[in-house]
Amino acid sequence: MAGVRLEHIYKKYAGTDKASVTDVNLDIKDKEFLVLVGPSGCGKSTTLRMIAGLEDITEGKLFIGERLVNDVAPKDRDIAMVFQSYALYPHMNVYQNMAFGLKLRKFKKADIEKRVREAAKILDIEHLLERKPKALSGGQRQRVALGRAIVREPQVFLMDEPLSNLDAKLRGQMRAEITKLTKRLEVTAIYVTHDQIEAMTMGDRIVVMKDGFIQQAASPDELYNHPVNIFVAGFIGSPSMNFVNGTLSDQGGVVRFKTNGVDVVVPEGRSQLLRDRGLIGKEVILGMRPEDLHEEPVFLEASPNSIVSANVEVAENLGHEILLYMNGVGNDTVIARVDGRSNVKEGAKLKLAIDMNKVHIFDKETELNVFETKELSLEKK
Amino acid sequence: MLADRGSEWMSDAKWMEQLQGILDCSLRQFQLPVSDWRSNGTKTNRATKSSRSTSAIKVGEHMVGQEGQLWFALYADGDAITVLEIGKHQLSETEKRLLGWMISLLKSTQSAAASNVTESERYARELGAWITEQLELPDTQLSVPEHLMARGRLFSSMIPFLLVCEQADAAGSSYMELEKLLRSFLADDVMLVPLKQQEWLVLGPVSLIRDAQSEEREGDQEESVEESLASITLGLQEMLTSEWIGECHLAVSQPISPASSIIATTALLRETIHLGRTFHVGTNIHLPWLLHLERLLSTIPENQRAKFVEQALKRTDFFLEPEILSTLETFFSLDCNVSETAKKLYIHRNTLLYRLDKLKQETELDVRQFSDAVLIKIVLLLYKVTKRK
Repeated sequence: MAGVRLEHIYKKYAGTDKASVTDVNLDIKDKEFLVLVGPSGCGKSTTLRMIAGLEDITEGKLFIGERLVNDVAPKDRDIAMVFQSYALYPHMNVYQNMAFGLKLRKFKKADIEKRVREAAKILDIEHLLERKPKALSGGQRQRVALGRAIVREPQVFLMDEPLSNLDAKLRGQMRAEITKLTKRLEVTAIYVTHDQIEAMTMGDRIVVMKDGFIQQAASPDELYNHPVNIFVAGFIGSPSMNFVNGTLSDQGGVVRFKTNGVDVVVPEGRSQLLRDRGLIGKEVILGMRPEDLHEEPVFLEASPNSIVSANVEVAENLGHEILLYMNGVGNDTVIARVDGRSNVKEGAKLKLAIDMNKVHIFDKETELNVFETKELSLEKK
Repeated sequence: MLADRGSEWMSDAKWMEQLQGILDCSLRQFQLPVSDWRSNGTKTNRATKSSRSTSAIKVGEHMVGQEGQLWFALYADGDAITVLEIGKHQLSETEKRLLGWMISLLKSTQSAAASNVTESERYARELGAWITEQLELPDTQLSVPEHLMARGRLFSSMIPFLLVCEQADAAGSSYMELEKLLRSFLADDVMLVPLKQQEWLVLGPVSLIRDAQSEEREGDQEESVEESLASITLGLQEMLTSEWIGECHLAVSQPISPASSIIATTALLRETIHLGRTFHVGTNIHLPWLLHLERLLSTIPENQRAKFVEQALKRTDFFLEPEILSTLETFFSLDCNVSETAKKLYIHRNTLLYRLDKLKQETELDVRQFSDAVLIKIVLLLYKVTKRK
């Protein structure tokens, strides 16, 4: 196995002014599971396809292990790809499907047999080896596609939305299986998805992309708790982070965030940074995760300086938790995630305490997270 | 001695382009009677005189032409000699000799490659050249002439695939390599016919359909020939992507008897790839039976298409939203079934209905109504094409 290194990679298609991928720098470690995530058109698939050799690299260097592979054909890159379509070879049985790549590479018959049987055992498809793809279910076909990649024992696995053709239940199941499998095989994997749940549950590290730029590359925990900008903050997490526009003021040495229906105190430990950045008196965006809005009496008593009032428009009871869709906090709907045993009903007027130690404050102009970036003069991507 | 291998020189014009770039002057190839070359001896450069005095004309030999241009001998074709003319004549003697050496080296490399050409490749190239030539003519119903019948193979029913690969490496990829790959993957009796530099016609045995259909899942309906062809093409495309030189486009049609319909079928497959790539960017498999509407729409002149889109939609920019685009595409691919679409998109049915209502509000077209759905489908196809212009 090997790592993958992308150095100042650009992709620009002929006849277009704008680059689809701009200055991507990534050092993917050996055995790392890296997820590229972002909305449609963000450049994640293009980046993967450049690694695979299916797209030319306009500028920059790509290394697999220590080898520069910019001009190496896909078949010679020692990678295995699993795509959304996971097209199997319909005229071959499962065994032949998995063995084909090895046969082409002139592996000995006994070696092929050994590798195919081992992969089939790992994927629990030993009993299907004689069947043709037409006789398999969606999940079984997906496993065969993975098996075809596994037998090659490549340096890197590349997967482009491999689960998107499966139904929701199977998708969840295969998500866990792919994670387990890559850990067991100790392989380097690069996985593309638009689904942030897939990204959060599968990746050792996640790269969030937008408009061809990397927004942030970090562990799931880091991305969730320390997003560097408003895009990452809004993209990661379900339901999304709540954003409320307001103004910061300094009243008698206490920094306050104020807007329609909100007047809360920023803890002293976090206030100085806001002063240092010259944000007092300026408009900012307050970001709150749904779970950082509390309706429990204990929390309300302990946080008298961060209480807001809200009207519950919709209460979605998911059993273990209730999602409250409310107005009255700023100008847009705000969502709170409260305990499933809570008694809150639709139409209720509610007092909530915001956990101000966990909120984020974003500069309105650059959209950067004040608490997570050193400079606010960075170019907005 | 000059070899009689003009066709190979002609097929490899790339080096001429490169040489032109290096010398920064005009280059051209033309034929000259051998006698003229010889009679031009008085003007021959002294450095090459000794070689020219022998009866053979050597590849790379040079002389100064009638207008003072520099001529290099490339190859002989009967009584004629093909000459490379270099407009710039102020080259030093060493430069001229270097050029001559480069040309003779190129020739010997190509001759070596040509000697490796198998009988089947020679035949396939001849057939490909004939097909390409026929496709330029207005009548596309011609039968394959007797001498290209490949010992009767073209009379049997075969599946025609058209393969187009625009990767830079494709042009340099060897015929033998691709043929071997296709034989391992499809069947031993597959035929690979090169058409243009990055375009191949692949004729596979019909037994592939039977092989793909041989097993059914319990309760599943029998797969149609078209479904089998689509899955074979998808598998072939996936294999070529990972085991050949990268991304390529493939079209397939119903099995044919190549002897009588190879021209018409190749024309159809070419058109299919063109339509597929125009209307469905990002798709690599193009199936003629799924592109009827696209075929019809492509006949409408461009300005009229743009005008139609403008007139049919209240707000054209609404289709720019990726969420709406993917919603509509999924909705149409699932025969306008709301529940199935919501399931496929992993969204609640009400969310889908909300999106469709929003579409209705913005465009005054309700995609759940048949007539509006037809209009939106057409507008969507046209919009994707006109938007890119």
